[in-house]
Amino acid sequence: MSLAFLRNDPHGRPLVTFVLTVLLLVVFGAGQGALLSPAVVRSTLETFGDTGLVALGLGLTMVIREFDLSVVGVFSVGGCIAVLTGNTDPWTGLLLALALGMIAGLAQGWLIVRLRLGSIGITLGGMLVLSGLAYVLSENRSLPYDNMQVALALTQPIAGVFSIRSLLTLAFFVVAALVVGTTRIGRDLIAIGSDRRAAMIAGVNVNAIIVGVFAFSGATAALAGVLVSYSLASASPAGLSDVIVPAATAAILGGVSLSGGTGRPLGIAIGMLILGVLHAGLNVLGAPPYAEQIVMGAVLLVVAVADGPLLLRRLGMTKQLIKPGLISGAHRNG
Amino acid sequence: MNGLLRSPSPLVVLRTIAVAALALISVLTPGFFSEPSLLSLATTVSFIGCVAVGMTFITISGNIMSFSLGALVGATSMIFILAMNFAGLAFGLAAALVFAALINAAQGLLIGAVRANPIIISIAATGLIYGVAEALAAQGAVYPTVGVHWGSGKLVDLPVEFVVLLCSAAVAQFLLSFTVFGRHLLMTGSSLAAAEVIGVRTWRTVTSAYLWAGLFSGLAGIMLAIRYGSASMTYGIGYEYNAMAAVLVGGTSIKGGEGSALRTLIGAIVIAVVEAVLLLWGFRQEWQFFIAGVIVLAVVALQTQGKRD
Repeated sequence: MSLAFLRNDPHGRPLVTFVLTVLLLVVFGAGQGALLSPAVVRSTLETFGDTGLVALGLGLTMVIREFDLSVVGVFSVGGCIAVLTGNTDPWTGLLLALALGMIAGLAQGWLIVRLRLGSIGITLGGMLVLSGLAYVLSENRSLPYDNMQVALALTQPIAGVFSIRSLLTLAFFVVAALVVGTTRIGRDLIAIGSDRRAAMIAGVNVNAIIVGVFAFSGATAALAGVLVSYSLASASPAGLSDVIVPAATAAILGGVSLSGGTGRPLGIAIGMLILGVLHAGLNVLGAPPYAEQIVMGAVLLVVAVADGPLLLRRLGMTKQLIKPGLISGAHRNG
Repeated sequence: MNGLLRSPSPLVVLRTIAVAALALISVLTPGFFSEPSLLSLATTVSFIGCVAVGMTFITISGNIMSFSLGALVGATSMIFILAMNFAGLAFGLAAALVFAALINAAQGLLIGAVRANPIIISIAATGLIYGVAEALAAQGAVYPTVGVHWGSGKLVDLPVEFVVLLCSAAVAQFLLSFTVFGRHLLMTGSSLAAAEVIGVRTWRTVTSAYLWAGLFSGLAGIMLAIRYGSASMTYGIGYEYNAMAAVLVGGTSIKGGEGSALRTLIGAIVIAVVEAVLLLWGFRQEWQFFIAGVIVLAVVALQTQGKRD
């Protein structure tokens, strides 16, 4: 692996971060020695299965320089609907939740395209409506799911470290990576995120792609909500910090920039694995639950600052590194 | 566009109809105009209103919204009680306001100086505030060891909280309309690049906007702590969403560069009246997020419609 690969390949930086995180935890956990056990690998993959799908959908909206806040609401309401309607047949719950997530995504994408609006305003409304729906459906309690067989099947270890949940999430990432890496859609995504007007002039169907990405983001968020609720055998409304913080952190760690146009699905997967290792590591080291919340918040803060278009200039580094268009543009991401 | 005779824009018509309809529904709702109902309305609107007045600065600065103001309200209420227990009321007030202003100004500095994404910074700050608060005060709520209350709790027949809100909105509007900071803020919000070109140091303006937002939200935290005689991180939960809805209903553009604190005040009153009416009609508390969401969606969609005409 040459240095050029690390610099030029979109997966280079996330990989380096991943290796550094593992090394850091090995150094910190040297006394315990339990860090590189199968249990840690399994826990990492379970975290990956928890929010990986949300990170993938949200990350793709960030690639086209939008931001889907509504994933929190879709995640919550997806879980609640699945648990309420899927007691006898889990597939019914899954399908209803998926349909709702996709419709929510389509509707928001359509509004964004039709009204030529920033995604933050529309998805803020979407998030509140959908989270609100989850609160109303659940009456702000935890909804129980009685079909324990489903819960057991979903979390049953496969080959020691996997589960249906993490394998399914992995499959989504592989398919997304193939689509983005080998088809025209992938190039269109990057083009729209880098320079929307140029993409439009070059003949990219910008509106269709935007609506499509939001529909995908809605569907993946709903699926994640269903899988988490089924495997926990309960559903309750989730907060911003439960969903957006890990998903956005994973995406940015995975090489997605809030200024759009960069990032790949496999990068997001690596970002998610970094968070998984961090979570498992903190558990092994016996850190209290709030420590993880603080660490996650701090990591997101740091990566957001590192993503800031003016950071290099403020640090007194070369000014040529900053594209003029990015400066005014990134600020108005909404 | 022909001078004085042009018909009012559809947005203005719509807004007038909406307010009139709301007034009519309030009148027709039994129990709405009873004194306890109005008093509780005036108190609720004061907490949300102060946060919304603060949020207005952030929205005008072009940084959309902050998700951390609710967490800040809870944290400030706790700092206030702890500092007051330590060295009295005056110290408590000062410590709480300084805390709220600094926590928010720090976020503003990151956003203004390196142009970090405001939404992400505020979400990260929310997680950090809740996490640190949990680490420091695991027992949940804190209580004052010295008595503190608003005397009779009323000033000229209005709850003290409501008077504080009116004063806050007036101060905020003064800052926006009559100070250099206010002019710089409007310029920064409408075009960052243009503001920089004519010599506005936008990082300062953005940091100040967040500082004021923190101060006004901090007031809400202090008032909550005094009203309930205790403080907890649960106090501010969800306030940011109502505040966002209030800012948008007040007609401040989500794109930044324009807006008014007095209109946000009206927006906050509208939101509070809607929620009070719904509660009286038997809708449970859980509906409040849903309602706020519908209002946000409707206003965001209508804002662009009005502009294009």
